[in-house]
Amino acid sequence: MTPDPGPPAPSPAPSPHRNRVSPAREPIAPAPPEHEALAPDTAAGDRGGRHTTRRPWSARRLPAMLVAAAIVVATGAALVDVVAVRAGRQAAGWRKHLTEALATRPVDDVWMLAGAAVAAAVGVWLIALALSPGLRHLLPLRSPADGAAPHLRASLDRDGAAALLRDAAMRVPGVSTARIRVRRHRIKARADVRFRDPQQVKADLTAVLNEEREHLALCRPPRIVVRVRQRTS
Amino acid sequence: MTPRPVFNRILLALTGLVLLGGGLLIISAGIDLYRSHNLAPPAGWPLTTPGDVLLSSSDRARWSSQGWWWWPAVIAALVVIAALALWWLLAQLPRRHPGGIPVGGSPPQEGIELSARALSDAIGAEAGALPGVQRANVRITGRLSHPHAHITLTLTPQGTPDTALKNLCEGPLRTAHQSTGSPLMPTEARLRVAHHKSRRAE
Repeated sequence: MTPDPGPPAPSPAPSPHRNRVSPAREPIAPAPPEHEALAPDTAAGDRGGRHTTRRPWSARRLPAMLVAAAIVVATGAALVDVVAVRAGRQAAGWRKHLTEALATRPVDDVWMLAGAAVAAAVGVWLIALALSPGLRHLLPLRSPADGAAPHLRASLDRDGAAALLRDAAMRVPGVSTARIRVRRHRIKARADVRFRDPQQVKADLTAVLNEEREHLALCRPPRIVVRVRQRTS
Repeated sequence: MTPRPVFNRILLALTGLVLLGGGLLIISAGIDLYRSHNLAPPAGWPLTTPGDVLLSSSDRARWSSQGWWWWPAVIAALVVIAALALWWLLAQLPRRHPGGIPVGGSPPQEGIELSARALSDAIGAEAGALPGVQRANVRITGRLSHPHAHITLTLTPQGTPDTALKNLCEGPLRTAHQSTGSPLMPTEARLRVAHHKSRRAE
């Protein structure tokens, strides 16, 4: 998969970069970020601050496959039948049925309206798929050592981030259970406190989670919201 | 035939626009939108009143009386559309990894190639042995001269993404870069964490 951050990316191959960086150079040598075709996000993020980093974009492979398969099946069936009729055979049953329905049902017929509504909804969905970045389950990561590896683009899945944060939360004394929900802009942590002062546990928990969030090396660290609940039973 | 994300998105948007436009055309005629809002659709506008049908008998008569070229033209159009759609479909299939990667700097030395499988196995073995990494899966895709590496790292619960990434850069990726002598391969790494039960701190 070759995610592209923006529309004008004619080729995923980073040829300009190749010509510039001599192979003998160590990876520490910073490559000009604007010439890195595959990883402009990481490079831009390392230079221009965290918030300029753009997300990786999905290739939208599955929807493309489904739409292409639907077109192939529909045109293939129509083609076979048209050729068969030209060759002197009878038209297939589905074609007669379809033509009759299209020729007799007016557009305020409930089937026509339902079909049109479905088509319009699918159309809106496809347009939304085409315009949105996707890959919502991945959180982009900073490249290590700021610009040392502009060729590397890394991401962490949100479930993994939640698991690591939960482990960190469970290390806080007094926390009996912790549930972490990682969203793209906010991390919600809910913890049950069995002993110690809940306020103190909350302060510790916030500090620990902030520290663990730094270890996650996220490009855009989400805000952490901590809620604690006393459970004495 | 690399699937281009931009290309996929343009075609998806076009298909979506066609479906949305057709659906809205039928709905607006079906609920009699034009008359209830006193709109005058332009001349030649299809489907204006709720009584219209999609395939009227006059349309069918007009099509069948076009002459000998009509049906061959229809068949040719269908063939072209089906072939393009089939090509689009096949372009989505994951591309086979390149057979051999040129080795020995740029320009690469003649006659020496490194099989992509050997390279990905080597990167995977070294990455899987890093501390805090449970499993590493490496695929190499792309064209022969421009390979891309896709690495999936499964971290152990004790691992942290920042050290794993740093080790990955300084370990396997640098080794691969130095041993092939080719420029740094564009690399995409996806990190996940091995499933484990939540344990209370002792």
